[in-house]
Amino acid sequence: MIVRAALARQAGQPWRTRQPGRPARPKASEQAAGWAFVTPAVVLIIVFGVVPIVWSAVMSFQRNNLFSPNTPFVGLSNYRQMLHDPVIGQAITHTIVYTALFVPGTMLVGLFLAVAMNRKLRFISVYRTAAYATMAISTISEALVFIWLFDPSYGIVNYLFHLVGFPQQQFLNSTSEALYVIVIMTIWGWTGFAVVIYLAALQGIPQALTEAAAIDGAGRWATFRRITLPLLSPASLFLVVWLTINALQLFDEVYLSTQGGPLNSTTVLVYYLYEQAFGGANFNFGYASAIAYFLFVIIIVVTAIQFRVGRRLVHYRS
Amino acid sequence: MRGHWLSAAAASALLACGLAACGTGTPNSTAGGLQIWEGYTGAEAKAFTHLLAVWNKAHPSEKVSYLYVNNDDSLPKLLTAVKGGSQPDIAYVYGSWAPNVAQIPQVVNLTKVVQQPGVDWSDFWVGERDVATVKGEVIGIPALVDNLAVVYNKSLFAAAGLPAPGPDWTWNQFVADAKKLTIPAKKQFGTAYVTPGTEDTVWHWEALLWEAGGQILNSTNTKAAFDSQAGLESLNTLRTMAVTDKSMYLDPSDSEYANLFNSGKIGMLVTGPWDLSGFPNVKYGVQIMPSFPGSSGGHQTISGPDNWVIFNNGSKRVAAAEKFLIWMTATPQATYFSLHTGDLPIRQSVENSPQFLQKMDQALPGVDTFVSNLGNVKQARPQLPTYPKVSTILGQMIVSVLLGKTQPRAALASAAQQVNQALASGSSS
Amino acid sequence: MAAPIAAATAAAPATPAALPRRRRVRLPFSPWHLVLIPATIVLIFPFAWLLITSVETPAEALHFPPILVPHHLDFGNYPQALQAAPFGRFFINSAVVAVTTVVANVVMCSLAGYAFARYRFFGRGLLFALIMTTLMVPFQVTMIPQYIITKWLGINVVAEFGLNHIGALIVPNAATAFGVFFLRQFFRTLPIEYEEAARVDGARRLTVFWRIVLPLSGPALSTLAALTFLDSWNNFLWPLIAVNQTNQMTLPLGLATFQGAHSTEWTLLMAGNVMSLIPIMIIFFAAQRYFVRSAAATGLTGT
Repeated sequence: MIVRAALARQAGQPWRTRQPGRPARPKASEQAAGWAFVTPAVVLIIVFGVVPIVWSAVMSFQRNNLFSPNTPFVGLSNYRQMLHDPVIGQAITHTIVYTALFVPGTMLVGLFLAVAMNRKLRFISVYRTAAYATMAISTISEALVFIWLFDPSYGIVNYLFHLVGFPQQQFLNSTSEALYVIVIMTIWGWTGFAVVIYLAALQGIPQALTEAAAIDGAGRWATFRRITLPLLSPASLFLVVWLTINALQLFDEVYLSTQGGPLNSTTVLVYYLYEQAFGGANFNFGYASAIAYFLFVIIIVVTAIQFRVGRRLVHYRS
Repeated sequence: MRGHWLSAAAASALLACGLAACGTGTPNSTAGGLQIWEGYTGAEAKAFTHLLAVWNKAHPSEKVSYLYVNNDDSLPKLLTAVKGGSQPDIAYVYGSWAPNVAQIPQVVNLTKVVQQPGVDWSDFWVGERDVATVKGEVIGIPALVDNLAVVYNKSLFAAAGLPAPGPDWTWNQFVADAKKLTIPAKKQFGTAYVTPGTEDTVWHWEALLWEAGGQILNSTNTKAAFDSQAGLESLNTLRTMAVTDKSMYLDPSDSEYANLFNSGKIGMLVTGPWDLSGFPNVKYGVQIMPSFPGSSGGHQTISGPDNWVIFNNGSKRVAAAEKFLIWMTATPQATYFSLHTGDLPIRQSVENSPQFLQKMDQALPGVDTFVSNLGNVKQARPQLPTYPKVSTILGQMIVSVLLGKTQPRAALASAAQQVNQALASGSSS
Repeated sequence: MAAPIAAATAAAPATPAALPRRRRVRLPFSPWHLVLIPATIVLIFPFAWLLITSVETPAEALHFPPILVPHHLDFGNYPQALQAAPFGRFFINSAVVAVTTVVANVVMCSLAGYAFARYRFFGRGLLFALIMTTLMVPFQVTMIPQYIITKWLGINVVAEFGLNHIGALIVPNAATAFGVFFLRQFFRTLPIEYEEAARVDGARRLTVFWRIVLPLSGPALSTLAALTFLDSWNNFLWPLIAVNQTNQMTLPLGLATFQGAHSTEWTLLMAGNVMSLIPIMIIFFAAQRYFVRSAAATGLTGT
């Protein structure tokens, strides 16, 4: 509300005008333009993205161990196997817990840093480049550094704990703590991305708005809450959706640091399905495909909910 | 100006695409040239490419080119290639995958080939031959052999007033030494164990199991046999160090332990010859693994051989591949490779080369103990397609005991039950 | 600029309730530095480790905990890494793939993203949902079908798109759902008034896109370009599967040659990593310029 009022006031217009120039039904030329514009990207994405997905769906109904050419159809037995698999429940829980911590965590850290960096300070380019740089580092280097930082005997974190009087923790050796270490590791890795997105969005907010609010006597926090945050909502929606999609498919960091351990405490769904397919646990590709589809359904549902909620809460400026 | 920029960029993209296409290699259908996928790095890569060059010069119509594929990543790449019909001619395959790789229809059966005169199949170590053979069929030619022994830090032993381990030592002595070498104030540990729960965790323990006189599975590979007194004894040994004495550093990353040893923070490691080159800062000694007194197992060790596997891309190429591999693994080439890399000799006759052991030891101190330890390899892990599943169960069991979460007896019983289930539900599902 | 002064004021410590007015404590520098400096240290710490390891001798690199202040510096790791494998070739391959992928993505995804954002056409919702689904299945599962499709294309359509050609690395990623999604969201935040005004004035749709929308999209396009470049440059799994000749390997595959099954040449690997990072950092630093407020975006002041 405040946003629209402010915008309208700036434009010197009453703010409940009907959008001019838009016919009730799309003209044929709009249809044609729409299809023409989307075709190049859509064709590529369908050929290389959708077709493999449909193909893997077919594989999820087969018994397929990747070595022998014998891949008979077994109906729903792969899916039924999931019901009897004791590890799947753990994998699902870990995936959900991880996502619930990682997504808000990254967004908050990213937002905070982006706000801090959205100003003309000396060295601001250095700070920004440092944030982006966390995206550039290879996952193996990231994993190695964090394994070291959180080493129970030789790591810096336990050393700091020691200085402050906290008890020493086992971190990656502990079934209760290992997942949280991975959360921290990945938040670190994705902070740069969140900063980039939020920074671009912040740069798009006209200063005239925040200045107008300040003139009107609004405090900085109120301005932030009532003007900046709503204007950032498209970026926030994008981040929530994209980070969630990625979090639910966590793999690399687990593969490179804990390999699902200790004792499956960091096993998440994609890592588990990789283990089933290639990790030497089974070479059971049919089962892995079934798990992937199960995850796929979860992701679709979650994303759809996010978009739905987004339609209510997100302000686009048109 | 942006319009110009975009159209210029689009044009240059097309141009780049065209240029790139022109500049790159020819399609995969070249006759005659064989392709081999391997994961050699450093000294191994140098030695291998040298031997390749020698072969290529002598056999210009049967040239072999190589593609580096990291061994850990090679399975997804290999399986995808097989499914897509673009498999290489030869690939380096981990021995633990052999029972499953044998099911690939394009894998060439080499049973008759290795019986030919001039190959001298029995010259390869028994552990290697066992791993290259699945259900009586030979599906690979040995590429690598290794084994586990104890590498210890001489300075730390001296500082603790301990005598260096002798070849007759026992696990009790190992445990006692580890305890003495553990100094919490210095963050120094007596020994270390890798705990990612993968096969690396498992095979270290299996060596102890065998030494205690135990077996992993029964003789028909239908039931678990590790749930025995031997299993208990071996697991308890590890547990004493990890949980009671806290003399064992647990490494879930499977990579820190080596650097820790090199930094003088660990007294003894049970590891293989590949780690020796990573210890430049430590005066180390090598000794065979201790034994359990009174057990039938004696001083045994475990070996993890790997294979060269040939894929059928046409009879001419198969014949050339066989010829190449037989030459590559023949005694003169194997000797060259060992001497230049420090890798253990894949053939027994290599040791007959003059002053072989001395030369090896000069290049890589301590490796001669590993070479003679090859004689202590008496058996191999079960060659089953379901072994990977068994391995996962055993891995969880060991980690659970080492973390102090379960008692060995209960852990063994539970694991045995799971293994029996896995074996019963059979092959590849 | 109102911002820095406002920041300094807001960060001023609260004065005791007894004083009637708020005192403004002025620090000689913006207090935001107190936040950003520790944050930056945490963020670049792994880089420092990477950089330091790359100039250590193997003896000092094989230490745990890692040595952060080495006694001997060994810059020879860099030339040694370069000579260990044909890195010049890998670099060119990576560059060609990355640049082409970026350009292709920016062009195709901006067109598609704009259409999804602004045009109403039959099947729009379904098509967008379909595209989004490609983000939801892990690559480990789709890589085998993608491999087979790419091989088929190389044999039956255009040889340069198939395996053993650089095209195999470019074409599957030339348009991604991420790009379309990202730009669609962005375009929806642009005020529609400009586009409508242009249409009312009789401009063709393409012209509106070209002349009005794209110039306003500097930050988003450069963000997409930087992210796509990064993704392409660091992509490992698909090139691993698709490349079968050493002279077509990209940089990540080349770096993997330092990682043996049992031992890793840490110093060379880190040197290689540092060299691989340099182009990315340059791109980011350059793209930063475009993140700066573009004048048009602030032009909502009603004139």
